[in-house]
Amino acid sequence: MVWQKYLLAFIITAAIFGTAFYLTNRLDARRLADIRATQEAISIDILSTETQFELLGNLDCVAISANPVLSEELNNLASRLSVAEENLGQNNPEVISLKKQYSLLEMKDYLLMKEISGKCPKVKPVSILYFYSNLGDCPDCARAGDVLTYLRQTYPGLRVYSFDYNLDLGALRTLLSLNRIDGKSLPAMVIGARAPVFGFKNLEDMQKLIPELKTLATSTSATTTKVK
Amino acid sequence: MEAGALGVYIALFFALYFEVFLLISFFERKPDKKTFLMPKRYPTVDIVVPVWNEERTLGGTLDSLLGLEYPKDKLNIVVVDDGSKDSTPAIAAGYAAAHPQITYHRKANGGKWTALNYAIERSSAEFVGCLDADSFVARDALIEIIKKTENDPSIMAITPAMKVQSPRRLLEVMQAVEYTFGIFFKKMFDNLSAISVLPGPFSFYKREIFKTIGPFRHAHNTEDMEIAFRMHAHGLKIGNAHTAYVYTTVPHTVRTLLRQRTRWSQGFLQNSKDYAHMYFNRKYGHFGMLVLPFGLAAFVAGLYTAGFMLYSGVSAVVTWLGDIAATGIPLHLPSWHLDWFYINTSMLLFLTIAILVMTFVAILLGQRMSGTTLRPSYFMSYFLFFGLLAPLWLFRAAWGALLAQESAWR
Repeated sequence: MVWQKYLLAFIITAAIFGTAFYLTNRLDARRLADIRATQEAISIDILSTETQFELLGNLDCVAISANPVLSEELNNLASRLSVAEENLGQNNPEVISLKKQYSLLEMKDYLLMKEISGKCPKVKPVSILYFYSNLGDCPDCARAGDVLTYLRQTYPGLRVYSFDYNLDLGALRTLLSLNRIDGKSLPAMVIGARAPVFGFKNLEDMQKLIPELKTLATSTSATTTKVK
Repeated sequence: MEAGALGVYIALFFALYFEVFLLISFFERKPDKKTFLMPKRYPTVDIVVPVWNEERTLGGTLDSLLGLEYPKDKLNIVVVDDGSKDSTPAIAAGYAAAHPQITYHRKANGGKWTALNYAIERSSAEFVGCLDADSFVARDALIEIIKKTENDPSIMAITPAMKVQSPRRLLEVMQAVEYTFGIFFKKMFDNLSAISVLPGPFSFYKREIFKTIGPFRHAHNTEDMEIAFRMHAHGLKIGNAHTAYVYTTVPHTVRTLLRQRTRWSQGFLQNSKDYAHMYFNRKYGHFGMLVLPFGLAAFVAGLYTAGFMLYSGVSAVVTWLGDIAATGIPLHLPSWHLDWFYINTSMLLFLTIAILVMTFVAILLGQRMSGTTLRPSYFMSYFLFFGLLAPLWLFRAAWGALLAQESAWR
């Protein structure tokens, strides 16, 4: 029967579409599992460093400063999350959950570094808290992210912590309110312990805003980890 | 999913559906292999060679026709000069004088279709064929054609398997792959009784059909397509002899290729308009239900996908340049991640791979059916360049059809 051939072709075509859909989802699920595993590993590392720090107090700053805390792992995680967000969409519940965990890990790392630098005078990290929104209400956020990505590539010692302003996370709300950041003035950055800086700043502006960059070693072969 | 990308997915669905349908047709009825059997009877045949300024290739074309394995008393070669201004008339007259099989006529310029009609009106043969003066035939091509019509007497017109003559340049080898793909297509359309064009190189007609359907028409400079449409409209069967090989010269510059393909594509659009009543009309079988609608859908999908990709590409470049200017970041090479995590595994990628694989399989089947040898570099040029060039002639054809402009022959 002629119509059966039309139907069979439709079924096979739909099956090919279904297979492509399945493969894509399967690989995305593996990506999420990969991110989850990385986050767990980072979480354990942070806990280990915290414990190590508490055990040693400020007695062994040399050991701590020789072992920079997780910067590379966090950057790598940020890059993976960015890919997952692009593939699955920013409203995907799994992506949101992972982003929350990532934000918490960033905060813990930030606080730990602050504590370490307080007790170990030789450890002086240059850190930036960067707040963005990707809901389409912050046209300059992508460019601000590009500048920070470039800076981090150029200065591997620079610690950039990026936070999605719209994440529904208590700790993040507290961080925002402590730094007096609201959603109307994004992108926003807190450089070190200084007052927040609002709006887009190009590379030249950023270099002026962070004179400490001159003290950081530069790299020409750092891996790219995109800041949102 | 963005609305723009959704359109691309719809286009991919149509393309996949069409290829799947043809592959089902192939496995349903595999093409017969070439045999050494000879026809039971040799009907009389007139082969018309319409010429207009063909001094470069006419000699070769006539030599190849003279070399056909067919009884000489049953085969006439009729050269109709359509008002050439070069040395074509002298060459044709020379051949006619030297070979009694060849007759030569000269008329005022009126277009290829008028030259064909001129010869058909004067023909008394059972079969009338046509061979463009830029094409050459295999020695057994006519025998293969006649065998096919003998096996299926309901066939009223028949097409050969067209190959590219000595492909060397980039565009020629690209077309060599395309023509091989076309051999598969044409055979599958034959299985479906839905062949949509009777190309100039070596298509044959039972002469009696012209009494039923009338002579060739101008048909927007695509008389070979219109007559196929008209035959379907009259319920006349068109067959394909995939073992009858014809070698044709193809354009080797972008300009001439665009001109040729614009004429073909615009002809499809304009003939489609003239025969709009056949679309989705079950009375015309697969031709009305599949070939015509999918031909038009492929046209629209090709234009849409190319437009979408162009828009996306230009937008990305404009954004990138704007970002560079605004951020002040010096130009630097993007870094690469050697990690599976960063490999693009989107649904679009898998569907594109599926289409490319099916296209590749179809070309290989066409290659096997016609005994063609295609080198890997030929495939490279096809997959790299065809998709870039096709939207250009699709756009020009759509524009020409919209303004009702006449397409150019050369």
